[in-house]
Amino acid sequence: MPERLSFYVKRESILHRLNPLSKLSIVFAFIFLSFLSPFRWLAPALAIPVITLSFVGNVQRQFLNIALKLILPAVLFMFVMQSIFLPGGETVLFAIWIFDVTLETVEKAFITVSRIFVMISAFAILLLTTHPSELMSDLTRRGLPGQFAYVIISTLQIIPQMQAKAQTIIAAQRSRGLDTESSFKKRVGALVPLVGPLVFGSLVEVEERAIAIEARGFTSTRTKTSLYEIPDTIFDKTLRWSLVLLVIIAIVSRIWLS
Amino acid sequence: MDPTLVITIVTAVVFGLLIAYALLVKKMNIGDDFNTMTWVLIPVAIAINLVIGQVVLVLKLPVFLDSIGTVLVGAICGPWAGALTGALSNIIAGIVIDPGWFPWFPVAAAIGFIAGLCANAGLFKNWWKVAITGFLIALGAILVGTPIAVYLFGGITASGSSFITAFLLQTGQDLVNAVLSTNFLVEPIDKISTALLSFAIVQGLSKRFLARFPRPENVEVEEGASRTQLFIAIAAVVILVLIAAFVLVNFLG
Repeated sequence: MPERLSFYVKRESILHRLNPLSKLSIVFAFIFLSFLSPFRWLAPALAIPVITLSFVGNVQRQFLNIALKLILPAVLFMFVMQSIFLPGGETVLFAIWIFDVTLETVEKAFITVSRIFVMISAFAILLLTTHPSELMSDLTRRGLPGQFAYVIISTLQIIPQMQAKAQTIIAAQRSRGLDTESSFKKRVGALVPLVGPLVFGSLVEVEERAIAIEARGFTSTRTKTSLYEIPDTIFDKTLRWSLVLLVIIAIVSRIWLS
Repeated sequence: MDPTLVITIVTAVVFGLLIAYALLVKKMNIGDDFNTMTWVLIPVAIAINLVIGQVVLVLKLPVFLDSIGTVLVGAICGPWAGALTGALSNIIAGIVIDPGWFPWFPVAAAIGFIAGLCANAGLFKNWWKVAITGFLIALGAILVGTPIAVYLFGGITASGSSFITAFLLQTGQDLVNAVLSTNFLVEPIDKISTALLSFAIVQGLSKRFLARFPRPENVEVEEGASRTQLFIAIAAVVILVLIAAFVLVNFLG
């Protein structure tokens, strides 16, 4: 796991300036359109606008990096496995050992996989162009309980600390002769001395933190003011409503056509 | 009879009984699960989920163990808090590790919710009850996870257990059955060890610390369980094993 809080890259672009909720709507519009539209081939076609978005947001290199490291390996694995192993289909393209690879399964696998690609890529672009705390403060302003924002943001801060702690514990226990590499039984046994200190160490801090945030009015029900203004232009609102309309059209036309 | 149908009915009955019993024993308002301690515990629990998942990778064990924190919150704070922890845990994993975690958040939420239900029903008080909790959690995870795997991912997902699914497909099973039986082979071991580990963690915490959470009475250890309870438990285990055996025979045979 990398030593960073999120995928966010600070840049100047239209996508970065867009309201976080608008970007979230774009993501969900991509997902709904690729999964629910009556035209199967829309999903692979949607890959083009998704990739274009990464250029609009000026994060194409980071996106390529994520795509090559995380998305494509998973997606290719699924494509190959599904093409070979899914039953059905008549037009046999070729045979591997006892498995017939048919045109129909390849087509089906390709569409499933491009839906997954569109879904995960859209999320990746959202994360690349939106700082988590920006998204959370915008959602909080719109009525999401502040506790959710607290949970997300503080988790993002705790994780790197805890990873560092885990590394220290693994190193310390190894230097005392804890066996983390040999037989299965030994590795299972190693779980307790590694997990124990980590978990109890972090749970001890919980109580202090509770007192600290309680003292800062955490459970107060008054409306809180924010230091940062997050812009929400007319363009944002139009964009969101047209995306909603687009998704509704897709769903209605699917019901209509089926 | 269609095994998928049998399994759905059996699971629905089991969860119906569980919910009814949990409701009988305890009120389950959403607000009851949350106090400041809950809100502070949730981030720590999510971090525990992800970091222990990492440690398990270092040790190369054949389980995930990535929901220990979720089960912990479910047990000492309640089902709604557990469900929230699970869902947010996958969202956080999507933010920091791999966006591919997002679609699976309902499974994680179900794990936390069922852990909370079982704890409310008094199934988090000694090790064999916790093992039953683990089995029920696995059942819930299978029930929620299978439709996601089938309808979103086309049945074969990017995880290693897909090879089992692929094998079962070749033996002539239909897709839903193949995915279901793969999950039945993988999930129970993982979730039972998860539940037992969370139980061990709860046992290590002081009573004074636990008392500040919404439902500390859920995890009070029973000293010397009564004889009738033991018989009920043995019966429950026998029934569960029979169900599992029936399901497996139906799927594999």
